[in-house]
Amino acid sequence: LYQRARMEYHHVSAKNGVADENQNAEKLSHIEKAYTTILSELGEDVKREGLLRTPLRAAKAMQFLTKGYKETIQDILNDAIFDENHEEMVIVKDIDLFSLCEHHLVPFFGKAHIAYLPNKKVVGLSKLARIVEIYSRRLQVQERLTKQIASAIAEALEPAGVAVVIEAVHMCMVMRGVQKMNASTVTSVMLGSFNDNAETRKEFLALTMQK
Amino acid sequence: MDHSKQTQYSQNEKKDAGASSSVLNGHFDGMAKRPAGGTGRAATAAAAQPPGAESSSHRPAASVMESWREERTRSVEDNEMSLPSLAAAYTTILRGLGEDPQRQGLLKTPWRAATAMQFFTKGYQEKIIDVLNDAIFDEDHDEMVIVKDIDMFSMCEHHLVPIFGRNYHRSYLFWCLETACFMFVRLSTVQERLTKQIAVAITEALQPTGVGVVIEATHMCMVMRGVQKMNSKTVTSTMLGVFREDPKTRDEFLTLIRS
Repeated sequence: LYQRARMEYHHVSAKNGVADENQNAEKLSHIEKAYTTILSELGEDVKREGLLRTPLRAAKAMQFLTKGYKETIQDILNDAIFDENHEEMVIVKDIDLFSLCEHHLVPFFGKAHIAYLPNKKVVGLSKLARIVEIYSRRLQVQERLTKQIASAIAEALEPAGVAVVIEAVHMCMVMRGVQKMNASTVTSVMLGSFNDNAETRKEFLALTMQK
Repeated sequence: MDHSKQTQYSQNEKKDAGASSSVLNGHFDGMAKRPAGGTGRAATAAAAQPPGAESSSHRPAASVMESWREERTRSVEDNEMSLPSLAAAYTTILRGLGEDPQRQGLLKTPWRAATAMQFFTKGYQEKIIDVLNDAIFDEDHDEMVIVKDIDMFSMCEHHLVPIFGRNYHRSYLFWCLETACFMFVRLSTVQERLTKQIAVAITEALQPTGVGVVIEATHMCMVMRGVQKMNSKTVTSTMLGVFREDPKTRDEFLTLIRS
């Protein structure tokens, strides 16, 4: 049933959650130096007041935006799976999502809608949003992000079906390149009953995509 | 029309270049040529006075303002030459974040990111004078001219994260295609300064009776990280000349842009 949902999508597998302090500080300073180079190569003056601490701030910001690499599903889900006699659709929609495009290192952001059909096991609702956070705070491709979220839920809960839809605006398309302000990208993954049963899928889409 | 008012804020507030060159907002204070022609008004003659002359109180410290006659700090050739070191810097960043720069999706990312960054800051390659030069016309028009909802994208200079929003501005007296804002928004900047730079550039280029600029923007550095407030917007405005002095004019402007 979940042939498509494989661990291979978790390509950056669970890193050691507690990184070595020294290593972290060293990496931070490498990134900081890199940003200083970038600023000066762009023609700016790195000594002026507004930019003095920018390399450090930018490095920390970048680390924050990619903190998903250090987090694993096990950490956040372990305690919040409950046995419930519930088999109807559970939807959490309009989850704000921010990620970084791995091709240009420019943000993309939008909303995620998640649904699953529990098989006697339900999960705390905010955990679904946290799953989105773990995978979106990385260098991502929207297709892979959608798949990773769906497969994580599938493996953790073994539900009868999982559906994930993400609609996002890519700054790399808006701020540069084709420069289309209003275009958005929609990707979806349907597993289990959502894939097999058209009615289920329709119900999900009707409930989430209605504006 | 009050010429004395125009004189006040159309003067160049640059310091005298003197012996050393000062660096203002990353731009070197070169003594570029002044544009010939223009309006031939008394204001232009007044603007030729020494830069040390007093200017109006609503100008901030000279170290932050730029004139539309600034030299470029970067050229297209510079772009090509700095690309390898920019790409190397991005590779370092990728490694520092724990990613593997050799995997397929990331192989050419340093180059793409470097080119993207150069595009986002391409305002450094441009000068107002190039952008505006031929498009200033004499018209006998003295009503308000508003250009609104100009999408703009910039980079926050504190976190190097995008800012985007809308920009409304207007000027009196002359009709001219405003691409000035497109140049300034490409710089790393702080929103307050950006608003002021746009207003000042228009003022110097056109010597209108008044200029108002309003920018409403979303700062990704606040939305994606830090306080993480999704819906917050930052609004900054600059009113010069008649917009500053006459509340009715200001009201009209603000009402028209809100509609």
